Amino acid sequence: MAEAVTKKAPSNKATVTLTIDGRSVTVDKGTTVLEAARSLGIHVPTFCWHPKLKSVGSCRMCYVEIEKMPKLQVSCATEAMDGMVVATDSDLVKQGRRAVIEFILMNHPLDCPTCDQGGECQLQDLTFAHAIDDSRFAFQKERFVEDGSVSTFDDVQIGPEIMLNRNRCIQCYKCVRANKEAFGEFDLGAFERGNITEINAAPGRQVDNPFSGNLAEICPVGALTGMDWRYKIRVWLTKTVSSICPFTASGVNTLMYMDETKNRIYRTTSRRNDEIDDGWLSNVSRYAYQVVHADDRLLTPFIRRDGKQVEATWDEALDLIAKRLSDIQDQKGCVCIGGLVSPRLDNATLYGFNKLMRHVIGTNNVDYRTEYRMLPQTPEDHYQAACSQPIRISDVDDSDVIVVFGSDMLKEHPNLYLRIRKAFNFGAARIFILNPYSTKASDVAELEMVYHAGMDEVALGAVCLTAVEKGIVSSDETDRLREAIAFDSASAAALACGLEPDHLELMARAMAEARKVTFLAGEIISRSREREPIAAAICNLNRLFSINTKGQFGILPGHSNSRGAHHLGLAPDPPASIKAKLRSLWGQYPDTETNTTDSMMVQMRKEEIDGLIIMGANPVMLYPDRAFARESLEKLDFLVVSDLFETETTELADVVLPLSSWAEYTGDYVNLEGRVQTASKAIHPIGDSRPGYAIVEAIADRLENTLYTAEDYRRDEIDTMLEVDTACPVPNLYVPSKGGQDEDDAEYPIALMIGDDPHHRGHYTEKSASLTSHVGEAYLELSPDLAAGHEIKEGDSVRIESPVGKVVLPARISEHIRNDIVFVPRNFPSAPVTSLLMRKRRIDRVRISKVVR
Amino acid sequence: MLAEESIALIKEKAAKYPERKSAILPALTVAYRQVGHLNDELYSEISEIIRVPAVEIAEAATFYTMFPKHPVGKYLIQVCHNISCALLGADSLIGYLEEKLEIKKGETTSDNLFTLVTVECLGSCCTAPMMQINQDYYENLTRERVDEILEELRTRA
Repeated sequence: MAEAVTKKAPSNKATVTLTIDGRSVTVDKGTTVLEAARSLGIHVPTFCWHPKLKSVGSCRMCYVEIEKMPKLQVSCATEAMDGMVVATDSDLVKQGRRAVIEFILMNHPLDCPTCDQGGECQLQDLTFAHAIDDSRFAFQKERFVEDGSVSTFDDVQIGPEIMLNRNRCIQCYKCVRANKEAFGEFDLGAFERGNITEINAAPGRQVDNPFSGNLAEICPVGALTGMDWRYKIRVWLTKTVSSICPFTASGVNTLMYMDETKNRIYRTTSRRNDEIDDGWLSNVSRYAYQVVHADDRLLTPFIRRDGKQVEATWDEALDLIAKRLSDIQDQKGCVCIGGLVSPRLDNATLYGFNKLMRHVIGTNNVDYRTEYRMLPQTPEDHYQAACSQPIRISDVDDSDVIVVFGSDMLKEHPNLYLRIRKAFNFGAARIFILNPYSTKASDVAELEMVYHAGMDEVALGAVCLTAVEKGIVSSDETDRLREAIAFDSASAAALACGLEPDHLELMARAMAEARKVTFLAGEIISRSREREPIAAAICNLNRLFSINTKGQFGILPGHSNSRGAHHLGLAPDPPASIKAKLRSLWGQYPDTETNTTDSMMVQMRKEEIDGLIIMGANPVMLYPDRAFARESLEKLDFLVVSDLFETETTELADVVLPLSSWAEYTGDYVNLEGRVQTASKAIHPIGDSRPGYAIVEAIADRLENTLYTAEDYRRDEIDTMLEVDTACPVPNLYVPSKGGQDEDDAEYPIALMIGDDPHHRGHYTEKSASLTSHVGEAYLELSPDLAAGHEIKEGDSVRIESPVGKVVLPARISEHIRNDIVFVPRNFPSAPVTSLLMRKRRIDRVRISKVVR
Repeated sequence: MLAEESIALIKEKAAKYPERKSAILPALTVAYRQVGHLNDELYSEISEIIRVPAVEIAEAATFYTMFPKHPVGKYLIQVCHNISCALLGADSLIGYLEEKLEIKKGETTSDNLFTLVTVECLGSCCTAPMMQINQDYYENLTRERVDEILEELRTRA
């Protein structure tokens, strides 16, 4: 945990005025001369400077001449002062730059023809621009010689995706600085000094952290190159296309490098957007493109004939869908058809899907939350309200108190995780984490409070009650607070959760005294069966501490277009305002019964739902009760599944339709802030696949009900839906806690948490070779003590048993996790971990034992 | 492996600094004095004690040529090869030492008496060329002076 460090709050914005190349410029005090010059559009060359890192002035390339200063100054580390007169292009500066390049090239191998950075190398460019064609350093260059095991170029692989060539390194330290300052990772270092300084992996380690791909991207030379890209194509033969990451709810901005002649994407880099990502990509965002080109993409439609899925044409498939859906409609009614859709699909697909289901077919059996355990027919007012609060990612930066509740930020929202680190390292933030298990962000937290699994709303209620009891905030609803959590005092509630009452008081005081608070809740809450009491507790906390008036709060949506799905009305029972809009657009809105994913499955079992269309979702793998989901879907008369790959769900389908990925058509996505962003088409659809919107429109056409009369209308209708009133009312009800325990049996003493591995998201990323080279199989994460108690060592096979299932996984021992809890990633089809889960449990419990061979 | 006393001493020194990183060099010094050189294992041990990532300890240790990273002989000869010493013949002095000790730079004599390394500036430019042997400086060196010093050290051993 971080030690208390007194930090200055950002001072009031004073300004200074200086002259650069004869032009006057006024900038905030504290701005560097370099940034002042750039604000005028004057390009000062740099190697070591990075806009999101602290200046070190190690490369000396940014020399400028400043009047009254005796020598050239490094502009990246010189603060702009009032009245300064700066020259960025004088003869002296040119001479200085020339000398710097000559010096940098002293030990540089100049192996440009065989170097993969060629064409996008800053050293190559700046040598071309500033240097002379000769060197006075005529002696033997220092050379790091490798044993030849990788290649003859002295390359050495230091991580699953990172290749190092120390001879080309110019010691700008950008990689080491980014790794430590921005990512908080310590698997890369700069060793030795002088001529033989080297960047290398930390002793005994690999560079494999979840942000490691950035290191190759920010390296200005060919010292660090990415394994996925190197020697496959030269950069000048590629074309770049703007895209966004389809796996993060932040909607990280990316650039895809593609070759038109081969219809292939070769890599993804950042397209810096300071409001969202600061130019950093998590490895998931960076290597997601490989999913597009995976070998086993579905290339044609399939139709089940005599029990077997056989290849078919689109016409055959669509005709069959139209016929079977019409039959069900005619014989049993439209309420016997349902639809499940993935919140990773774009707006046009989601809206079209909604219109197809509700308007064309006329059913209210529509849901996009197919991975979350759900109680049938829960109104979910608090949950919906907490999920649709306005959040601004960049507002995290200057928050002075940040609370993370029920979220493993690194795994769920890697870019928000980096923002929180930034707020700590560069801002004045005090960070509090309240989670059922310890997470990676703990090293920047002032307090990390770990409560017993399942006690989420009691823990949060205890914070509120502490604040009221200690007079930190005033409230006349103390009794209702006590009732809601079923405890008489804050300290009793805290102790029941396994928390220190003093810690809760410290956090309550910090929130009450703060100027700007950011409160973020995440997937651990969304995955809970009892979301409503937890969401109510979050809303109450917000009201007590006035968080939304002096900051922001909310439950973060999990997927790249969850927010869009909400606004476009894909929830089973959308808020009244959304329903009203849909009614006015369509002239009608079905008044049939509404069903969630879970209640649809219940109805399938009763044969009350006979036909189902699934698009992009894989409930059989990800619904938190695998057997239940599978059995339900098996009962269907007719199942249509559209996906990129053959999945556990497509196996059951009567018609399988190949879906195009986000890179194969232009689509809009709404990120967790409500920001609408576009991922442009990078390549043509793979095989015979089609974009989701085209598929739903084709199905509607076959049902003789065209979704839109013209292309424009689709856009107009979606735009209308996305005009959202941001002031979402926060309900103020108290929802009683259902208690943390199930009808518990001592046989299964360990709580099981299921989530994403830091290198994976959901069920597609397993198709990316670069991501599986980091983590390629499921594991069981457990504490050293728990492992010792069962005589389990790192890598041992462990049997995990729940009342309904059994899985064997290798052990991974982690200091981060408590003794009464284990973590398992859900991303690997080979390890069906959802088969351990029971739909009706509050906390999943398991027992573990070592597999003895 | 660090001895109990070394661990206690590192903890005592680390307690003096408000920034944990500041304890890296004092901790390395304690480890070096006990073991005679430094290695990756010691970096991770120190990392555990002062709670600083091991890589930052390794970075500091490798930056300072004064800490040997491999087992060394009884006398560690560290010859300065920076500018002032170089101008006054450090290179030929290093060559002479190699010839005399029959080892290359970075090696140890077979009797385990002498290890020869070159180091960055030791801050004694006014008496260049110079070298440090264990804790002592030997300055204004000539070949004759080197002969004397080596002879003296051999006798003392």
